[in-house]
Amino acid sequence: MNGPPADRETLEVDVLIVGGGPAGMSAALRLAQLQKEKGGEQLSIAVLEKSREPGAHMLSGAVLDPSALKDLIPDFKEKGAPLASEVHHDHIYFLTKNSKFPFPITPPPLRNHGNYIISVNRFVKWMAGLVEAEGIDLFSGFPASELLYDGARVVGVRTRDQGIDKHGAKKSTFEPGVDIRANVTILCDGVRGNLTKALVRRLALDEGRLPQIYALGIKELWEVPKDRIAAGTVIHTMGYPLRMEEFGGCFLYAMPDGLVSVGLVSGLDYRDPMFDPHIAFQHAKQHPLMESMLRGGQMVRYGAKALPEGGWHTIPRVYADGVLIAGDAGGFLNSMRLKGLHLAMRTGMLAAETAFDATRANDTSSAQLRKYEDRINNSDVRRELYSVRNVHQSFSYGLLPGLMYSGLSLVTGGWWVRDPMPVKAGYEHMAKLADYYGDNRPDVDVAVRPAKIDRKLTFDKLTNVHFSGTRHAEDQPSHLIVHDTDICRTRCREEYGNPCTRFCPANVYEMVDAGDGTKKLQINASNCVHCKTCDIMDPYQVIDWVPPEGGGGPQYEGM
Amino acid sequence: MKIAVCIKQVVTREWQLRVNDSKTWIRDQDASFELNEPDAYALEEALRLKEKHSGEVVVCSAGPARASSVLREALARGADRAIHVEADALASADAFAVADALAAALRDEKFDLVLTGLQSDDQGFGQVGVVLAEKLGMPHATIIMEVKAEEGGLRVKRELEGGWFQWMTLPLPALLTIQSGINQLRYATLKGIMAAKKKEIRKVTPSAAASPAQKMLAIHFPEKGKKTQMLPGSPAEAAKALVQKLREDARVIQ
Repeated sequence: MNGPPADRETLEVDVLIVGGGPAGMSAALRLAQLQKEKGGEQLSIAVLEKSREPGAHMLSGAVLDPSALKDLIPDFKEKGAPLASEVHHDHIYFLTKNSKFPFPITPPPLRNHGNYIISVNRFVKWMAGLVEAEGIDLFSGFPASELLYDGARVVGVRTRDQGIDKHGAKKSTFEPGVDIRANVTILCDGVRGNLTKALVRRLALDEGRLPQIYALGIKELWEVPKDRIAAGTVIHTMGYPLRMEEFGGCFLYAMPDGLVSVGLVSGLDYRDPMFDPHIAFQHAKQHPLMESMLRGGQMVRYGAKALPEGGWHTIPRVYADGVLIAGDAGGFLNSMRLKGLHLAMRTGMLAAETAFDATRANDTSSAQLRKYEDRINNSDVRRELYSVRNVHQSFSYGLLPGLMYSGLSLVTGGWWVRDPMPVKAGYEHMAKLADYYGDNRPDVDVAVRPAKIDRKLTFDKLTNVHFSGTRHAEDQPSHLIVHDTDICRTRCREEYGNPCTRFCPANVYEMVDAGDGTKKLQINASNCVHCKTCDIMDPYQVIDWVPPEGGGGPQYEGM
Repeated sequence: MKIAVCIKQVVTREWQLRVNDSKTWIRDQDASFELNEPDAYALEEALRLKEKHSGEVVVCSAGPARASSVLREALARGADRAIHVEADALASADAFAVADALAAALRDEKFDLVLTGLQSDDQGFGQVGVVLAEKLGMPHATIIMEVKAEEGGLRVKRELEGGWFQWMTLPLPALLTIQSGINQLRYATLKGIMAAKKKEIRKVTPSAAASPAQKMLAIHFPEKGKKTQMLPGSPAEAAKALVQKLREDARVIQ
């Protein structure tokens, strides 16, 4: 797909940041600060972001622990940080189908006083303004398609070629990708980032680590009558619509003017191959607790994104020659507190400090960049993550063992008899239909636990995708590469019943009639909301998510 | 050839519109914006003309502060400089007021050619171009599908109804409103974005803005036509009533 090197332009920078999310923006701002504090020759810094405009692919609950923000931008209030509301009320419930049981106390990790409910889309857009004001080059609409190496050393990235048609031929507007060469590349490419995934595999950075465990977050933004829920209210639930064997829960965060974020996070380590997270979310909204909050309101946005929930033991080695990994890409998320923004920001800042020193010392070798790991170990990042290092792993043994361990870990500091607690990759938990359903094999083209869709409270996937603002140029190769579509119609259909048609929250995967009485896979790539679930959860691991043409993807305004 | 391209920032097509409280415009506080599509083609056509005949491409937008992002985008694609007629009221102003603001900003520069998109994706009157031509005292041609520069003027292809086209010639200076699809849009490049940072965006405050000639009374979503009516009575009576309705109300049978 890539043209000869002769027609490729090259851009040289000192530090390249790939991914303009909270981690990447924090890294850029921290570099600009260090430059001002320490003087010396001006560093050239560039940020690459795949979305059309900054923040467009940002999706989170979101409740922000402002600890890193306070350090990075002490005058964030004067600078107009868009913090929708301070958290005033914390509620946590265990739900059964029709009832709710409040937890007698709010567990300390879920106490949110001092935190803020935010739109991470607006927050990152605000940060982007600060980054650009520092004169840093922020390139929106430019995905990085591959890392550039010199032996085992990362020397930059190549941006994606633009203007290739769906058959792989160059269009008249073809624009070859640019090689951006950097002394240090900071990968902030988010959960299951395509570059981080390739790097970790190539350099075996996950050796001796546990496999990452992910969850899928599905979220809607609602506008409800203004006096219904006090701004600053945070509600978390466990239990229904998930079963004891499924990890996760719902969230509902109330912002001013009747804006409400509501969502379901479900572990991507479920057993039942017929489980459909999007349908589970519809059931969640029909629960009396949620329904009473949303009734009469209007859904205004939809989105979905995976979360790295594995915690401390799953974080790969986050440095190598010429490269650092920060934020969700590295798995810096506290699944016990359901928070990752502050850790993304903090690791972005620490990566920036390491990159700055390394560039100044003219040594960006692995030995020098290792100081990033030391910085992490001496920071709140380790203090916070180490004590909850086995939390999601414990839930892979079921809800009750998970809850018991989580409670215990508050006393024991996270210790467990077998530490790290052994765990398999999430997709390996999925059972085959025959093992899960025995002789009662369900019709795999029909939902096992369907939800009633009324298009007021509950929606089908296609309607939801419409509300994600997703757009891709139609005439381009599919950015979802299924390496063996034969598996889909043969083995997978028999063994798992094509679970991609269920775990994808955007109706990208469909099994359609092949014309000979069998079904074949159809990939509706232009629906993709870039959540990465298929890349993560496919039981045969034959799906590769690669970035589509620049600017493609959702438009998470206000999310 | 000194070319001006008038561009507008509009709400993205994917945006789920909501009507504001006074029901006179959309709620655009948290909307996402982009360059109006026909204007992108107008810009591309101007860049191609410049590449062929040399000269200068100046982009101009009349809109609130946020509109500067589409001007920056145009500069990144290759426009040489930009003029921003900045006023909040221009966000939903009528064609007359917008054309007036643009004309004031463009008049003194003596452009050879002024291009606009055929119409905007939001209000869609398709009038700014023609009113602007009138105010600048230039001839104009609309719905342009091809532009050829000739000795002393232009030869342009207009799109008519029913698959018909019309070729016509105009002297310069002139104004053309460009139809989407006239060319293939180029991609923004990293070098273009970096170069755009050094280009000028001149801000202009509209002096005595023309008072709007039109007033938006109300906007609303199309009413959904689906209505269910239950016909009472025995099956025979209901069938009779149904046939009558199909014949007289719906007029789908004779």
